[in-house]
This record gives sequence, C-alpha cells and structure tokens, in this order.
Amino acid sequence: MTSLANEKTKATKLIMHILFYIWRNLTRNKLRSMLTILSVGFSLALMTVLHGYQAMQASWGKEAEKYQRLVVMSTQGFSGQVPIAHVDRVRGMDGVEAATPYAWFGGKYKDEEMAFAQFGCDPAAVFNVWDEFKIDSQQLEEWKRTRNGCVVDRRLAEKRGWKVGERIPLQGTFYSFNLDLVMCGTFDSPKTNDSVWFNWLYLDEGLQAMKARGAGNAGTIFARTQKADELAKVAKAIDDRFASSENPTRTQTEAAFAQMFVDMLGNVRVFILIIGVAVVFSLSLVTASAMAMSTRERTTEVAVLKAIGFSRRRVLVTILGEACAITLIGGLMGITIGGSFLELLHVVSSQFFPFSFREMLGTWIVNLIFVSAAIGLVGGIVPATRAAQLTVIDGLRRVV
Amino acid sequence: MGRKTLADINSGNGEPLISIRDVCKEFRRDAITIPVLQGINLEVAPGGYLALMGPSGSGKSTLLNLVAGLDRPTSGTVTVCGQSLERSSESQLAKWRSQHVGFIFQLYNLIPVLTAFENVELPLTLTSLSRRERREHVEAALQVVGLNDRSHHYPRQLSGGQEQRVSIARAIATDPTLIVADEPTGDLDAKSAAEILDLMERLNRDFHKTIIMVTHDPDAAARAHQTLHLQKGVLVEKTHE
Repeated sequence: MTSLANEKTKATKLIMHILFYIWRNLTRNKLRSMLTILSVGFSLALMTVLHGYQAMQASWGKEAEKYQRLVVMSTQGFSGQVPIAHVDRVRGMDGVEAATPYAWFGGKYKDEEMAFAQFGCDPAAVFNVWDEFKIDSQQLEEWKRTRNGCVVDRRLAEKRGWKVGERIPLQGTFYSFNLDLVMCGTFDSPKTNDSVWFNWLYLDEGLQAMKARGAGNAGTIFARTQKADELAKVAKAIDDRFASSENPTRTQTEAAFAQMFVDMLGNVRVFILIIGVAVVFSLSLVTASAMAMSTRERTTEVAVLKAIGFSRRRVLVTILGEACAITLIGGLMGITIGGSFLELLHVVSSQFFPFSFREMLGTWIVNLIFVSAAIGLVGGIVPATRAAQLTVIDGLRRVV
Repeated sequence: MGRKTLADINSGNGEPLISIRDVCKEFRRDAITIPVLQGINLEVAPGGYLALMGPSGSGKSTLLNLVAGLDRPTSGTVTVCGQSLERSSESQLAKWRSQHVGFIFQLYNLIPVLTAFENVELPLTLTSLSRRERREHVEAALQVVGLNDRSHHYPRQLSGGQEQRVSIARAIATDPTLIVADEPTGDLDAKSAAEILDLMERLNRDFHKTIIMVTHDPDAAARAHQTLHLQKGVLVEKTHE
C-alpha cells in the first residue's frame, strides 16, 4: 500500500512539474501563443454555434417527449390542407383529451420580419392541449370574448414592454390578410416560447371576407391524448380516419415532429460535419506549425533537458502537453464564445433558438473539448516526436 | 597541488572514476567514415581536475561527450562511476547522467522562462526529493555560487557571469560525482572568467568534484590538475608548465 501511495505521489509530482513547465513555455512567446489560442478559439466558437443549433433541435425533441401531444398535418406536408372540420373529428376520437388548430401566420411586425412566432389556435382548447402552460383565468376569458384578441408568452411581452391592451399589428406574408391584434393577457410556459397566440377564427373570417387563399385551413392540429401509452394507437386511428378523405393526414408525436425538423436539416448536418472536419484539419496544421516553430527555437534547450537526464518520454509528453494546453485553452474559449453567442441568439430570437445554452449542455460539448485536445495531439505529435528523438549531440552541436 | 603527467594519470593508484580503454569513435557522413578518436586510453581518479585542449576538430568535445554519457564509442570501453557506458541504453544513460553528471556549457543554456531558482531546481525534479528538500538543495547550490539574492531573477536579468554561476549551481544541485564543462569561460570577460574558474577550483578542492573541462584558454587549463592535448583524435602528452 505504501509503495502504491509513493508511486501515486511520484506520478502526481511528475504531472505537476510537467504542467508547470508547460505553463511557463506558453508564456515564452506570448504573442504566438495568444494568436494560436485565438485561431483555435474562434474556429471552435463557429463549431460550437453550428453544433449548438443541431443540439437545440435535439433538445426540442427531447423536451417534447415529456408531453403526450400529437401533431396532425397533411400528408403533403406544410403546403397541404388540413380542413378545420378535421379538428372536431379529432376531438371526438377515442383517447383524445383536447385538440386545437395551430396555424403558423409568419407575419411582419412593424418593420421586423419574423420578429416572433404567431399561431392561430382555438382559445377554448389550446391551454388544454398545452396543459403545462399557465394563464390567468380572467385573461383567458377575455381572450375568448375578443375575436381579435391574443395572448403572449410572458417573456416575450416583458422583452417588448407590452401590456394588456397593447395593439399588435401583424402584416401577412403567407396570408393576404393583416391582423390587428389586441393583447388580452400573458401565459407562462416551462421553456421560452416566444409566441403570440391569436384566435384562428379571426384569421379565417378575414380570409373568407377577402375570398383569399388559405381559408378553412387549420394548418396543423395539435392534440393531447388521455394516456401517454396511447400516442401511437391514437395517431394511427387519426390517420386511418382520414385516409380515404380528400385530405389524408400524417400524425406523429410532437417529439417526432421536432425530429422531422432535424431531419430536414439532413444536408445541413453533413455540411456542418464537413466544415467541422475541415476546421479540425486546418487547426491541426496551425498548431503543428506553431509547435514546430516553438520547438525549433528550443532545440538547444531540449538537448540540455535531455543532457541533464530528461527522458525521451518526458520530452514528448511536455511538448505534446504544451500543444494540447494551447488547443484546450482555445477550445474552452471557443466554446465559451460560441455558447455566449447561442445564448444571445436565444434571448434575441427565442422562436428560432428556443433553448438556453445551459439547457443544451451535453455530450456535444464534451465532444468539442475532446476535439480541442485531439487537435493538440495531432498538431503536436510531429514536433514532439522530433524533439524527443533529437540527440543531445545534435542539439548541443555548438556547445558540447 | 602537484601537476601530473599523462603517465601519472594512466597509472594512478586506486579505483579510477573514469576509465577509457582503446576507445575509437567514428562518424559516418553518407558513405564516408570520419575517424574522430583513435585508441584513446585514459584514467581519471576521483577528485581529479582535467583540462582537455587541442585545436578545433581534434576530438576533445567528442571525448567529453563519451565521458558524460552523451554518446557511445564505436569501439573500446568507457567506464565512469562504475557504469559501462558503451553498453547502456539511452534511457539508462539519461538516468545515469541525472545522478552522476553535472553540465556546464559555454553559452550557459539556462531555460529563459524559468527563474534562477527554477533552473537550478530542474535536475532535482527528476529525483524523489520532496519540495522542501529540493528547495534546500537549490538554496545550498545558489549559496555556493553566491547568487542566493538573485534566485528569483530570470536569465535575461542576469549578467553573463551570473548566468554561468547559475549554470554551475544547476550542475551541482544534484550533488553529482562528475562535472563536465565545455569552454565554461569562452563567452565571458576576463573578470567573470576568473570568478568562474575560482568557483570551479573551489568545487574541486572543497567539494571533491571530479571535473573535466574542455578549453582553448591556457590560463583556464592552468587551473586544472592536469592538462591533456588532443591532436587529430589522438591523446598526446605535453608538459604543463
């Protein structure tokens, strides 16, 4: 046991010496170290944002798994029709607790394009479908009474400084009808929702009056089932119910719906992967170049270290450790910058970035840290091996 | 201290610290073999102070490398401090050097990012000494070279003479048996050089360190107990006075 403890102490001491020496070497040429760290940092910040966006999509799916909601859409996708009559039929089916039309409006607020999400839904049903969302009962009743009323995610209202009674004009972009909404209240949701919910009927009546395209279309239907284990059964029953109609449906869980958006990014994911590989490769070259310069300048020093008894392995570990330290510092800096940027996007535009960076922490962050270390290893291996293999005679040729 | 001849050295009484027998060293450059040392025989007793002189390319640095365990002979045997160096692996030689040899270089070769204290401590990090013991060793070594008050200075903050003294402190920190010095005064002014030579003499006299020094400077060589000359890879005896 004593021997084991001694070995452990010896190993700890060795690591501390190597870390100390690595740290001192990092300060040798501060400008070069800083530039290398920055190049790694900013490249990994870009990777953090790209991978963070993917992680956000995955988080949506994971979050949606908690709730027993189904999404009914046209088999033709978002361009297809889901007649409003389907909503009542879905409500009447066994196993369905509540259902609401859920139509994406996508309007322009003042001069802002896609400033926040806007959905036409049924005020009487929507809080039964999203039963984890909370709203004051009086405000809900007011919304139900007000045809052009709307309710707003509390965080969005606070961010915009909106109060009850606020006029929210929305200029249609997909629809030719403009909405003139009045804020009736705010609701609280577990995650930032950044949405405005208005009465679907208000939109539909406007479109009908204009005889415009899109009238009578629920867009999608969101339904909550009575039991969590009945999701698949109810989804199949809904699709079977409309299979022979003019507007067949495709029903999936909310988690699968979220995954669909991730899958839509299929090529983007490959693109991100290719960018990632290219970034890692180029960073390895940058690190290798910096380390090669650094070790070449220290040829005599390496020889001195070996002369006084430093082993090849210790020299190798020291140089590799230095390369890894540079890329790890850069990596952590990059992840911090990238994470902060994602957090900023979340604050500024929650509809597209609904999750906070803190909520997305997971294996992808660990992977990025490993990538940072791997860049150091790959970039440092050649200069480190050359330094380790340097003979004392060659290194000290001028001296001894 | 009486001056000795090559014959005295080679027939010294007792167990020699350094024993070199029939050593040849050749270097290969492409297809060409260059003989550097030929038939070298040499013994140095513990506590000896030997100066190696000779023109450039005569092989004195090569001989110093062999004695210090930095290189291995092409043929012959090199035994230092009881270790047969010609048969040792590189890792064995590295460990042996860390325990038995202290190095003093012409250009000091201190690590610029480490303070004087940390430079002297460097070889001690290879030992099992505790932090406190290492500090004691470093302070003692710096005390010997008279630089205790400059222990937290970086090499760039020291004069050439002071740097060389730190280098000497680093060489003696592990209390090695043998100190090898290659032109230790070659880059110093006369005053600093004299101080360094005084210090080396003291290490030999008071601390019983065996010293082998390569030098071009006859005054430096005159401080040694004996001086050997190398000419075209062959050790030749010369008078000392």
